[in-house]
Amino acid sequence: MARDLVADRLAVERRREAARARTPLQLAWRQLTRYKLALAGGAVLVVLYVTMLIAEFLAPYPLDFSDRSLYYAPPVGVHFVDAQGRWHLRPFVYAYRAVDPSLPAYAADTSRAYDIHFLVHGAPYRLLWLIPTDLHLLGVTPPARLFLLGSDQFGRDLLSRMLYGSRVSLMIGVLVVLVTFPIGMLLGGIAGYYGGVIDNLTMRAVEVLAAFPSFYLFLTLASVLPPTLSGGARLFMLSAVFSLVGWGGLARVIRGLVLSIREMEFVLAARAAGLRDLKVILRHVLPSTSSYVIVAATLTIPGAILGESGLSFLGLGIQEPSTSWGLLLAQAQSVDVLTQFPWLLYPGLAIVVAILAFNFLGDGVRDALDPRQRSV
Amino acid sequence: MRMRAAALICLLGAVLLLTPQLGAAPPHPSLPGLPDPKVMVGEIGQYGGTFLDSQVSDPRTFNPVLAQETTSTGPLGYLFEGLVEDNGQTTETEPALAESWTTSKDGRTWTFVLRQGLRWNDGQPVTADDVLFTFQVVYDPRIPNSESDVLRVAGKPIQVAKVDARTVRFTTAEPFGPFLRVIGVPIIPRHKLEAAYNAGRFNQTWGLNTPPRELVGTGPYAMTEYKNAQRMVFVRNPHYWKVDTAGHRLPYIDRVVLTIVPDQDAHRLLFQAGQTDSYGVRPREYAEFKRGEKAGNYTVYDGGPSFGSQFLVFNQNPHSGLPAYKLKWFQTQKFRQAVAYAVDRQAIINQVFAGHAIPEYGPESPADKFFYNPRVMQYPYDLDKAARVLAEAGFKKGADGVLRDADGHPVQFVISTNSDNKDRVAIANIIRQDLTKLGMQVTLAPESFNTLVNKLVESFRWEAMVLGLTGGVDPHNGQNVWKSSGSLHMWYPKQPKPATPWEAQIDRYFNLAATTVDQNRRRAYYNQYQEIVAEQVPLIYTAIPNAYVAVRNKFGNIKFTAFGGAFWNFPVVFIKR
Repeated sequence: MARDLVADRLAVERRREAARARTPLQLAWRQLTRYKLALAGGAVLVVLYVTMLIAEFLAPYPLDFSDRSLYYAPPVGVHFVDAQGRWHLRPFVYAYRAVDPSLPAYAADTSRAYDIHFLVHGAPYRLLWLIPTDLHLLGVTPPARLFLLGSDQFGRDLLSRMLYGSRVSLMIGVLVVLVTFPIGMLLGGIAGYYGGVIDNLTMRAVEVLAAFPSFYLFLTLASVLPPTLSGGARLFMLSAVFSLVGWGGLARVIRGLVLSIREMEFVLAARAAGLRDLKVILRHVLPSTSSYVIVAATLTIPGAILGESGLSFLGLGIQEPSTSWGLLLAQAQSVDVLTQFPWLLYPGLAIVVAILAFNFLGDGVRDALDPRQRSV
Repeated sequence: MRMRAAALICLLGAVLLLTPQLGAAPPHPSLPGLPDPKVMVGEIGQYGGTFLDSQVSDPRTFNPVLAQETTSTGPLGYLFEGLVEDNGQTTETEPALAESWTTSKDGRTWTFVLRQGLRWNDGQPVTADDVLFTFQVVYDPRIPNSESDVLRVAGKPIQVAKVDARTVRFTTAEPFGPFLRVIGVPIIPRHKLEAAYNAGRFNQTWGLNTPPRELVGTGPYAMTEYKNAQRMVFVRNPHYWKVDTAGHRLPYIDRVVLTIVPDQDAHRLLFQAGQTDSYGVRPREYAEFKRGEKAGNYTVYDGGPSFGSQFLVFNQNPHSGLPAYKLKWFQTQKFRQAVAYAVDRQAIINQVFAGHAIPEYGPESPADKFFYNPRVMQYPYDLDKAARVLAEAGFKKGADGVLRDADGHPVQFVISTNSDNKDRVAIANIIRQDLTKLGMQVTLAPESFNTLVNKLVESFRWEAMVLGLTGGVDPHNGQNVWKSSGSLHMWYPKQPKPATPWEAQIDRYFNLAATTVDQNRRRAYYNQYQEIVAEQVPLIYTAIPNAYVAVRNKFGNIKFTAFGGAFWNFPVVFIKR
């Protein structure tokens, strides 16, 4: 009995030892793996970002492709069994047949099946902006069209445009974080570390910024962007607009954290060792705020995605022919379009999925990085 | 005196000509105290019932002289009328408060005779003094109104003189072709408004806080109630001067209730909930409303092409700050023609107007039965032809797919339009796509309407725009667009003198048509202008949507036209039992 107890005790001791030996990051990862929702969110995001990178390969049609006779076409059905009840090895689609162009209403023309081909040659592009190629994952022979999620008012493939649009929608969050966080952390760090007049000035500036109704500020700033900006340049300008408004809140929290961190022994030690102030802030103070920063980042990204969607929805964000999920969703703005062509809501679904994934992941990361929530 | 003699001879001639037919026609109806009412053609209806109407946003004044926006002029149309009115079906001008008129030989003098026995809705008689008072107010420089500009001939006001209690004589500085189209200003009651006018308070009279019963008019209805942002109620005017073919005094319907809604979608919901009796259906809503006809117990009427046009315009203004080479493209007729060939009007009709529109090539709509000229140059969609025309003008498409002018400048420009109008944004997008195929680099810039208007009339800093205009029957109303000195001559407004020979030609035809009284000769002049515009394409027209209205089936005598609307003959519209 006694030996068992001792053995148990030793085992626990060993486990603790092992736990202590792990780096904080490893601990956090172990913790994170217990939140299934967070993992799922992370997985969805990985899929989304990979799709975004190889959008040209996955999209059946180029960005500005349109079939003018097939506007507002519903999603094409993918079949294995044809009208005669025969099985096909390859999935196939039927061509659309206009029933009433004024409604518009389409039916499948079942007289001929069009096989879906994989790895077909189509419009040339550069994969990952590097490798020139013309291979596309899926394709069908015209007159059949592979409108897997239907087409829009101009007869453009919604799925393809969602894939291209994901570039804007998913990149803008990352860009905003890349711009906002260095500014917010540096200014917050300096304000908290020095205190006094610098702190006062910075924080008053943050308050002035916070006093603006942010969405109206976006509207004003976005409306002065020149219309000739290319899609990419516009994306950067919009990120700059969001960042201009976004750094304040972050700076304020960082400053609060730094106020207590600067009194800690390791900071005092660093200063006693004669390090320059900036180096102390960058090397010793700010890294201690990392757990908060990571969480804040995962929650800032969805905010930027929604902000861009809002601006594009109002016609001030990304402009045709470039696209984003918000701009795509703007097509479903009126009641009559919504009721007649419900597939135009798919971009909204994409936004919801991306935002939820970020939020779940952010929640999980926050818990994982919080030592008080940690169980061994 | 000579004039009256001539008029008398004219009248006698007319009577003599009509005499053989008079025997067959039913006797002209008359009412006690109203010997010669206006007869409105239509099925004999029944009295009673309420018409539920709706309009977007509140009126801004009840003063018919000051009213400018349709939210004010719309409801006031139930209350006030002019000497003449337009027939909604034939688009011709007909007698209204005036029972007849004559023109002098030189076309400068018009004599109008008021209908005998006309009364204001408070029972007072309508006299020539009311007409004189109305024009005195309209021409008063202290009173801001849109009529005073329209009612000027060669820059001078029309002289108005009283001949007797029922006769008024108008004299214009020179013969004025569209005289009958402009003279129908709403007549206002002198006995109600003269005191305020003499005291200098006219601009504050008949505001929204006026007790509705104070609003005294000659129209088929009188207002009884106005509640801000809620509704207006009108009741039948018992003194009205129109009758049906059997001699019953009109209007048939007792009450009109006009609900005020914030926007068109709210109006649509009201209609679908059965709380209004009519709704102006937009082309893209047509299919949905057509399907709901039976369940909603209404009919969707097709008025054919409307007066609204949508077009692309290039900036040709040398004071616009555009680089000289761009200005040169836009001033090149072949460039504009090539773009006209590249407009896929069928795609616009299908995708923007759900198939309920017709292609448009000239400045007037076929809804204008009299002045529309169908034989103008047409630009059917043909990208090859467009490319050929561009090549003729010296533009070359390089191996890189970029179109360049003769000096090597790549063709790139921005098409602006107002972002709140989804139809225009879509039209611009379809045009952009085709121009891209020609090798042009076109950027789309949806902007706020105010920004756009500012660019158009003040800064002139724009390259191309997709815009729309609403037209009317008489092309004369479009002179601020078409004359080179016009403020809405979009591609180069307010020119000191015509910049091009063809603009000088258009100016000439507009001036000729304005000073000609013979309508057939006027039509010939306006035909010329339409042909020049179609050849020079300063505005590249796209499509004219059809006009639709949904009206409940319980109404009789509905004769919907794009020009007059569903209720131009409202006095004879009745509710079936």
